[in-house]
Amino acid sequence: MRVVIAEDQALLRAGLARLFEDAGHEVVASVGDATALLSAVAGHRPELAVVDVRMPPDYGDEGARAARRIREEHPAVAVLLLSQHIETKHAVALVAQGRFGYLLKDRVLDVGEFMEAAERVCRGGSALDPQVVAMLVRHDRDDDPLAELTAREREVLALIAEGLSNGGIAKRLFLSLNTVESHVRNVLSKLDVTAAEDGNRRVLAVLAHLRATQSQH
Amino acid sequence: MRRSLALPWALAIVAAALVVLGGVLEFLPGASGDPWWVYGLWICLVLATVAVGLLVAVRRPGHPIGLLLLANALIIAAAGAAESYARYGLLDHPGSLPGARWAALYDQSAWPLLFAAVTAIALVFPDGRLPSPRWRRVAAGATASFALVIVSSMTRPFEGPFAGVRNPLPELPAALGMLGGVALLGVLFSLLAAVTAVRVRFRRASGIERLQLQWLMFSAASIPLALLLGLATGDDAARTASIFVMSGALSAGVAVAILRYRLYEIDRLINRSLVYGLLTLLLAGAYAAITLALGVAASRSSPWETAVATLAVAAAFLPLRTRVQRGVDKRFARARYDALRRIEAFLADLRGGRTAPEEIESVLAQTLGDPRLELHYWLAADERYSDARGNPVGVAPDDGRVRTPVSRGGAPMGVVVHDPALDERPHLLASVIEAAGLAIEIARLRVELRRQLEEVEASRARIVAAGYEERRRIERDLHDGAQQRLVSIGLALRHLQHELPTGSGAADEALDGAVAEITHAIGDLRELARGVRPSLLDEGIGPALRELAQRSSVPVEVRATPERFAGSLEAAAYFIVCEGLTNAVKHAHASRIVVSAGRANGSLVVSVADDGVGGAAAAEGSGLMGLADRVAAQGGTLRLRSAPSAGTTLTVELPCAS
Repeated sequence: MRVVIAEDQALLRAGLARLFEDAGHEVVASVGDATALLSAVAGHRPELAVVDVRMPPDYGDEGARAARRIREEHPAVAVLLLSQHIETKHAVALVAQGRFGYLLKDRVLDVGEFMEAAERVCRGGSALDPQVVAMLVRHDRDDDPLAELTAREREVLALIAEGLSNGGIAKRLFLSLNTVESHVRNVLSKLDVTAAEDGNRRVLAVLAHLRATQSQH
Repeated sequence: MRRSLALPWALAIVAAALVVLGGVLEFLPGASGDPWWVYGLWICLVLATVAVGLLVAVRRPGHPIGLLLLANALIIAAAGAAESYARYGLLDHPGSLPGARWAALYDQSAWPLLFAAVTAIALVFPDGRLPSPRWRRVAAGATASFALVIVSSMTRPFEGPFAGVRNPLPELPAALGMLGGVALLGVLFSLLAAVTAVRVRFRRASGIERLQLQWLMFSAASIPLALLLGLATGDDAARTASIFVMSGALSAGVAVAILRYRLYEIDRLINRSLVYGLLTLLLAGAYAAITLALGVAASRSSPWETAVATLAVAAAFLPLRTRVQRGVDKRFARARYDALRRIEAFLADLRGGRTAPEEIESVLAQTLGDPRLELHYWLAADERYSDARGNPVGVAPDDGRVRTPVSRGGAPMGVVVHDPALDERPHLLASVIEAAGLAIEIARLRVELRRQLEEVEASRARIVAAGYEERRRIERDLHDGAQQRLVSIGLALRHLQHELPTGSGAADEALDGAVAEITHAIGDLRELARGVRPSLLDEGIGPALRELAQRSSVPVEVRATPERFAGSLEAAAYFIVCEGLTNAVKHAHASRIVVSAGRANGSLVVSVADDGVGGAAAAEGSGLMGLADRVAAQGGTLRLRSAPSAGTTLTVELPCAS
């Protein structure tokens, strides 16, 4: 992958670059703010942009706004947004568009899963941080359709929302592919989501459903 | 001042002397006087007119009305005295008095003067000027007419009681007599003009001036009536009576305007004038009575009687004056007396808790008759003035009003901002302010206290808000500082791990362990930061509460509005729910909790309701007490409903405005 990294803290920026290089990817640019990020993306046309949410000058959500512009101006560039803490405001909507990932920053320390997510996003898939997913799939009302799911089914739903494929889910839960497929079918039918049983469209449908449920509260 | 009062006093004294002279002549043995009541009326009329005239003259030195009134009194006094003198010297004891024929001449020809004086008063009342420059011709015509009528009646043979006496002046040709007839017509027109002048002024006037004029307007109507009546009857007594009524009505009209409607701002002066007026009357009465008694006793007049009477009256004067002064002081310092009584009544109400000290402002306004009066309190701590509500007020009123400072025991209390007209009654203003001093001080202290309380409340709210802001800063520091640094170290370790030659299993494992520790540390930091201030608060109270509910060990239902509120308000609401949840789980042993947050009546209302054991109370030092303090700091209210075994509901309202 050809990667552009935007992170304002130099040490972390260098660490991230080394992480991608160690994994055999090419880091074409490492920048410290949103403006530099946008010009680097325009100049290098990378496959992936790894973007810190908080960057100069205001340390607000400059990274998220830059990510949205990249989405609009360079739809072919995948974006992985890294955050110090959970901010659901825009994350779910962006992730639901595909070719987009939103992860807590310390996920990078689990190199295997992080790289897997980065590559998935690059391929057009999505990656949503488990903590965000946990907020989406929890139920606190009795009439919530999620209440009908079994514990295992809810686990599967969470992994679908995180962006994992059936294969990925099987690997994560140490289950056979067939079992996972049957769980997925059950989940989708209980939630009344009609979509392909695997692939990105399924993630989008599930996320859309979860967001709709969420906003009813 | 003293010089300009010389003429009024001279006129008054001469008039009083003439009254005395007339009285003496009336009651001397062998005098064929008028009936006693005519004499009494005459005395009253003269003295009343003198009193009103002096009142105006003293208050407004040089003012024409005062002089005209005194002149009128003198003319009336002289007419009566001249008649008595002429009667005694010509008819009762012929040849006993010098110049009796001249007195008869005055008696015969002075009657136009009586009309002239009241006409002049009616023309220039109350400002001493004619209604307009055009009236100068009227005044000139009137002067000429009166002069001609006087001259023509002076040069005629005597009529009436002195018909047989020779006029000391030579008779003038008949042509002049005819001119006198024409002039009489002019006099009648002048009188009508005088009535018109008052009417014109009345129509132009408004407000208090209109009230001042209205009484004179009624009395002015009697002027031409008196002349017509006198001309028509030809009866001496009727003529005298009509002239008395006319002059008396006029003086009364002026007196009412002064006494009732405070013309010429005469107010405090009434006090002194009344003393002297009453004293004069008492003196005259005493003098007349003593003279009469001595006269009857001696059965003939002598200079001794007069001297003894004078001495007796003079001896009686001093104690009498003190006594009368005291009575009049009590009864007639009306404005001040009334004002002080009102203030006292207000202070009594204040002591009885029936009114608020701040009402002193409106009481002062009513008492001093200035509806626009304002009381500004001096706030020593802020070094500025404020109104009763504590709002700052400017130092200089820009509308020409006057500022009179108020102080107690040398300490400034504030200022009374009032109409400049009040400065003309400095004694009234000063004594009223002094009497109201205690109420003003209490009101000032209350204003200051309220003001300081507001300031303390504001600063407490600021401190609480700053506390929430500080939490946000710490949270950011944790996330952006320590947490980032740990991630960097973790990444460095991962890189190191990557660089390790294959087969270094132990080192690889150690690095995995270190990174796992770091991940733990980051998790701990995130928890710590969330405790300081959940970053989800940036997205609103709803998301933050839902996240909080998710962490609870007891099922929590969240009913939160998606609406946004001020940051400190959302933070306060969040921590209130935190405390409420902790209590519900820890103390109430709840199995189900409902958290709600929404807007109601301009407030953010949050509540935590559980189905636990109940019986909770906010004890000193408890979390609930700290909560109540913070809620109060933000101007909110906290309600705790917690009957034993009926669950606990904590409801907090935080006003959105603050």
